[in-house]
Amino acid sequence: MSDEGELQAIAAGDSEAFGRWVSRAESRLRLSVRSFARVVDVEVVLQETLLRAWQVAPRVQDDGRPEPLLRLAIRIARNLAIDEARRSRRVPVATDVIDALREDTAAVHDPDPGLRDAIAACRDRLPRQPKAALSARLDAAGGRDDRSLAESLGMRLNTFLQNFGRARKLLLECLRSRGIDPDLELS
Amino acid sequence: MADERETLIEQVMGAHRARDRDGRVLADPAWYDLDEDTRAQVFEDTLVLRRLEAALDPDGLSTTARAVLARITARP
Repeated sequence: MSDEGELQAIAAGDSEAFGRWVSRAESRLRLSVRSFARVVDVEVVLQETLLRAWQVAPRVQDDGRPEPLLRLAIRIARNLAIDEARRSRRVPVATDVIDALREDTAAVHDPDPGLRDAIAACRDRLPRQPKAALSARLDAAGGRDDRSLAESLGMRLNTFLQNFGRARKLLLECLRSRGIDPDLELS
Repeated sequence: MADERETLIEQVMGAHRARDRDGRVLADPAWYDLDEDTRAQVFEDTLVLRRLEAALDPDGLSTTARAVLARITARP
């Protein structure tokens, strides 16, 4: 779908079209506020930005340049990050922000099918408890807190978090053992 | 102490965030307990984690994306 067609679908309230847009935009949005990571919880900025992007999409004008919604969302993310930083009285130097915006918003490509298969194979090889913690977080999709997830697995919260951390590290080790550098391929 | 720090890190890397009465997304309480260097590292690790999550998802969506879409589709 073209940028224009996708924007029209999102503006008309098509949440599936918005989901497709988010799947491409998320990493670039996250990278656009990298310079704030020391002073704001970037996850908050990301979620608020995506919600606002959905709300303002019907008013976005297609100016003929690529990715109008993404460009607007990057501005929203930056402004939210500045607001959050001000709230905690820690505002990064403006020139740093502008430089970061230039450097960090290069296109991020989807993982190729081979990489997806490798990640899935590594997930399948995880030990039972770490795999259960990882699956619980993926299934909950940010909708339940960790205490509730831990309880549903019969784990203490700390045990759940340790298992999740173990799953994450084992996944990365497994990918490296297959000659894949996650820092290069996934960041 | 090392274990406690590790569990704080894993907690912050999750996509679940509480909201206030106005629906505003709130920072994870554990985030405030991390020093700035650790927060920067959490950012980098979360970037990779969300890409891993998206790669494991049939629609290519991370838990952040799914959390936002759940809010959007839940609205009347």
